[in-house]
Amino acid sequence: MPIASPFLRMGARSSGMVAWAMAALMVPATFYSILYHSLFIFQMIGYALLGMVAEGIYVLIVRRKLQLNSIASGLTVALIAASVPPSMPFLPMLSSILLAIWMMKLPMAGIPLRFNAAMAGRLFLMLVYSSHVVAWGTPTADVISTATPQELYRSEGFALELPQLLFGRVGGIWEELFLLVPGSPGETFPLIILLLGAVLCWKGIVAWRTPIAFLISFGITTALCGNSPMFNLFSAATIFSAVFIVSDPVSTPMSKSGKIACGIIIGVSNALLRHFTYYTEAIVYAVLLGNLFTPLLDRIAFAAQGWRLQRRR
Amino acid sequence: MLRHIKTNWPDLLHFQPLETPFPAPERIFPGLEEIDPETFPAFLDEIGLVGMGGSGFPASEKIRASIGAHTLVINGVECEPGITVDQTILLHHPLWVQAGANACAKAIGATQVVLAVKNNPDHISRFRVLYPEYDIAPFPDRYPAGAEKLILKKLTGKMPPPGVRPYQMGYLVQNAVSLRAIGRAIVDGIPVVERPLTLTMPSTGFYKNIIAPLGLPIRDVLEAFNLPFDPEAHLISASGLMMGNEVGLDDCIEKTTLSLIILERSKLEEKERGCIRCGTCNTACPLGLHPYALVERIKKGRTKSPAFKAQMTECFLCGVCSAVCPSHIPLIRTLEEGKQCL
Repeated sequence: MPIASPFLRMGARSSGMVAWAMAALMVPATFYSILYHSLFIFQMIGYALLGMVAEGIYVLIVRRKLQLNSIASGLTVALIAASVPPSMPFLPMLSSILLAIWMMKLPMAGIPLRFNAAMAGRLFLMLVYSSHVVAWGTPTADVISTATPQELYRSEGFALELPQLLFGRVGGIWEELFLLVPGSPGETFPLIILLLGAVLCWKGIVAWRTPIAFLISFGITTALCGNSPMFNLFSAATIFSAVFIVSDPVSTPMSKSGKIACGIIIGVSNALLRHFTYYTEAIVYAVLLGNLFTPLLDRIAFAAQGWRLQRRR
Repeated sequence: MLRHIKTNWPDLLHFQPLETPFPAPERIFPGLEEIDPETFPAFLDEIGLVGMGGSGFPASEKIRASIGAHTLVINGVECEPGITVDQTILLHHPLWVQAGANACAKAIGATQVVLAVKNNPDHISRFRVLYPEYDIAPFPDRYPAGAEKLILKKLTGKMPPPGVRPYQMGYLVQNAVSLRAIGRAIVDGIPVVERPLTLTMPSTGFYKNIIAPLGLPIRDVLEAFNLPFDPEAHLISASGLMMGNEVGLDDCIEKTTLSLIILERSKLEEKERGCIRCGTCNTACPLGLHPYALVERIKKGRTKSPAFKAQMTECFLCGVCSAVCPSHIPLIRTLEEGKQCL
């Protein structure tokens, strides 16, 4: 490649983007590890390495060359690990990793329609090993099925207060029952994740349009359905998905208007699914629905821009 | 997502010096006494003036087409980042620029003269003193702000339709350096034989605006300033960082050489990676086009749709999409090919 203009380069580089996102994901994982489940961070790193090995094997077989810098697969697997309970057994986790990497991530590289591989892996776990996925551990006794804040609210009409959700620690009369807000390791510290998301936006690593459109449309739809928007935003995996899942560049549209439309589709469908169906956190379905619309939204944005230019002539 | 450009320029906000180490040209014909719309374009042909803002379009044609325009715009908005030659000329040679602008305005019958400059309070207060009878329009200090289309967008409030030249909207946009050349010919009787340009070597912190004679080999220019140039390690970019091209030591100063920027080769070599579909090119495009969608269609040969043609016509190859691409995909090369599909 000869050197040619433009000689200037600005903004972030894609080589460091995944590493930054990985580092950001490590922060809440480390907190969770220190406070509640000391082995979790090592478990997550181990799974991430496993994902990288899985990509290495795939590349070796399909493209006949050895390639080891596959940190993107590591991030996908780390996201799966952060969105299920740490007590998840190894075999389901392995099959979900292989499904995500070998069937969803690598064969679909380079085509416009992409699904978020982490969400696909989690969907597999939810459908096949559903009893493990809801086994949120409490620190007093390791694996006991407890209700997440959403489930508590749904079944008993009891809403945790905002400070408890923000800092991931339950106080008052419920402290006897569970010390921490039950949930997956990734979603327990919404405040920290929100700050990390702001840092990632400022570094130019994630695009802000999709997550912001997602959060705003989700909040509005939840309010219209008659639920508390603040409680719903900060419980379950909403903030976590906004920062790490919805902002995924590969599976969301490229155009500005497409990004906003995709965020609104995900946000509205997620809020509606939470309100009208049995699922308490339906983010997996909402994200996959948004991914399905991505090529269509990009084409509409392209055609609309062309039409606008033609009309002005 | 356009960030500030990370190069170790000297502070461009301060007044830049103007140096002429080369011998001054001689007066070869008497200046022009009377400006006549009939003969003025022929006079411009005689002095050999082309658009000195980088386009190289013959100035006489532009003046002929623009007769009857109501506004003359002096383009002092640098098109390329890191170049300050336009504003330096406006600051140091106001008499020549004014002579040229007044002559142009008289020739086309313009009633209003607008001075378009970068939004820098120090410079603007100085321009108000130097050019008291002109209106001053400040422009943001970002690339691309100096393209004719974007200047007209700011002045008229809406984007000019595709394919419409500025004179069809009643505007004549002339570069400050072109007007200086007209003024030089009218006042001093010197045709276009010299070229103001920015000469800089960011790695050594050297930054100067100079006036160099046309046709001088670049080797001589570098020798006059004792720049440590090594062909293996360095690269000379003529006419800017974004739309310019690489030139060798034996190439000459041309009328459209806006700048000579000496860069280090090692910092420019980047490996192309796969597209991650992040959409940074869409966000950065100053016209709101979809660069990667265009590139995909060019590569697949699907170039017949009206939406593609409309967007491809609008694109003026500014190169912002290539510059911001996190994967270093040379989008601008493919878009250049796409221009030929029209």
